[in-house]
Amino acid sequence: MSDVPQHHATPKRQFVGLTRHIILIVACLVVICPIAYMFIASFKTIQDFFEFPYGLPTIWEWQNYVRAWEEANVAVTFTNSVIVTGLGVLGTTTLASLAAYGLSQPGKPLSTPLFMLFVGGLLIPVQLIVLPLFILMRQLSLSGTLFSIILPYSALGLPLAVLILVPFFSALPRELVDAARVDGASELQIFYRIMLPLVRPALAAVIILDGVWMWNEFFIPLVILTKPATHTLAVGIVSFFGLYSTEWGLVFASVAISTLPLIVAYILLTRQFVAGLSAGALKG
Amino acid sequence: MRLRHYRHLLFVLPALLVYGVFVIYPTLSAFWLSLFDWSGVGISMNFIALTNYVEALQSTELYRAGWHNLIFFLAILAIQNTIGLFLAIQLDARPRGVEFYRTVLFMPVLVSLVATGFIWSLMLSPNIGIINPLLKDLGLGGLAQPWLSSKTFALPTVIIVQAWQMLGWSIVIYLAGLQGIPAELREAAQIDGATSWNVFRHITFPLLAPSFTILTVLTFILIFRVFDVVYVLAGPAGAPAGATDVLGTLIYRNAFGSTGAFAGMSLRMSYAISISVIMFVFLGIFSAILVLWLRRREVRI
Repeated sequence: MSDVPQHHATPKRQFVGLTRHIILIVACLVVICPIAYMFIASFKTIQDFFEFPYGLPTIWEWQNYVRAWEEANVAVTFTNSVIVTGLGVLGTTTLASLAAYGLSQPGKPLSTPLFMLFVGGLLIPVQLIVLPLFILMRQLSLSGTLFSIILPYSALGLPLAVLILVPFFSALPRELVDAARVDGASELQIFYRIMLPLVRPALAAVIILDGVWMWNEFFIPLVILTKPATHTLAVGIVSFFGLYSTEWGLVFASVAISTLPLIVAYILLTRQFVAGLSAGALKG
Repeated sequence: MRLRHYRHLLFVLPALLVYGVFVIYPTLSAFWLSLFDWSGVGISMNFIALTNYVEALQSTELYRAGWHNLIFFLAILAIQNTIGLFLAIQLDARPRGVEFYRTVLFMPVLVSLVATGFIWSLMLSPNIGIINPLLKDLGLGGLAQPWLSSKTFALPTVIIVQAWQMLGWSIVIYLAGLQGIPAELREAAQIDGATSWNVFRHITFPLLAPSFTILTVLTFILIFRVFDVVYVLAGPAGAPAGATDVLGTLIYRNAFGSTGAFAGMSLRMSYAISISVIMFVFLGIFSAILVLWLRRREVRI
């Protein structure tokens, strides 16, 4: 290995290193400026928007947040988003881990066709499914309730969750199951006490992937949740903006409230987020 | 004994039930519902067989929207494979602060497309935006445009906004690919006197073929369902004059009208569903071709 060029601090190397930092800093600015701009805009008065488009606010208008919470319906839509995302993630993770455990047992009948059936769902575009879903919810008398979105979220999260979880369960040694059975554990106990804790990294990936998707999803709730009382954050912001298109301060306070939870979670758990989200991408 | 053999299916049953009712049934019923003349409300449903399909396939709107989706897909793919790959290579060189750079560059993926749309619609606004004044202050006032109301610039602008939100995917996927390439391969080529461009062209890039496949498929899935950014920046009609109309907005508009849910006069649920079925069939064919091509490419390289 002595022939390999060593990383000496030659002038050329320093130049390359410096250029690299400049490129990366510019790229980071392109990312950070719009996000920072969103937070700055959320504190501006309407007058500031017109007079100082790219200055800091002359008065930091905290009232925007209070008014967004009360007048722009964010108190309702934020709660709805939390409920819908929480129950949707719980639903899809529970159903998918049970199914993935069942499908991971080698040589059992129907395992492969059922796995293909679940994973094949990745090919169905939401545009195809969302209108019939809207009609189905009316037929089931679920429209106007949050269940009309929680159930489709739980179902639509399954393809990717099953795809991620099955290989993890398959990789666990079967002797664990046999040993537990000898000890008299029930089938459900074996799943819940022994197998499930062993696939924790895959579960984290599923939870992050589906949580981010459900929190940010717009098209499906826009079509299905027609009642303002059931709107999620994204739908609520768009419909508020449709009515009061000059209330930029309130709109951006709402946008900031919808973005902040994920950004904070991401900064605290960067490693898990990147691993979780790219687990989805690298499998898909 | 036979029952024991099927016991594992009990674990699958709850998921299968939910999946069947809320994914498989709606998918199949789309084909059935598309055969009627139905507004979506009320009980007047006339069976009209394939009339919706004949009308949809003859409308220029369908081809225009599909064409915009295709341009969208190719443009995003091009941006990811140039800027995204380039930034991934910079990170792969492990400069000081690489963790910080990676954290920041991936962040927009967490910002919802609705929030992204609002941020950029304000920045691009002709009255209170910052992009045009910024260009003027930099002495580039000639480049200022009415970005979202110009027929020429509206679609490219919407695409760049979407690319801003999605670029993190390509960086993370390519970075993972680059880190999987053994350093000895590149070092050996350097010792043999290859220039860094030749090392990239003949060693690094071919070995990134699996990453390219993943990224292409992911982009394909995400872009053919593109809706949020277009809806926020250009409205359900794909303003101006349909210059940004995509399949998502076309389907939404026919089902719910262009001025918000149920405000439109002529709602045509069944017609909208027939367009979504056409899209599904087209996507099926297109993705089969895409996967075949990508596989063959991976083998060839």
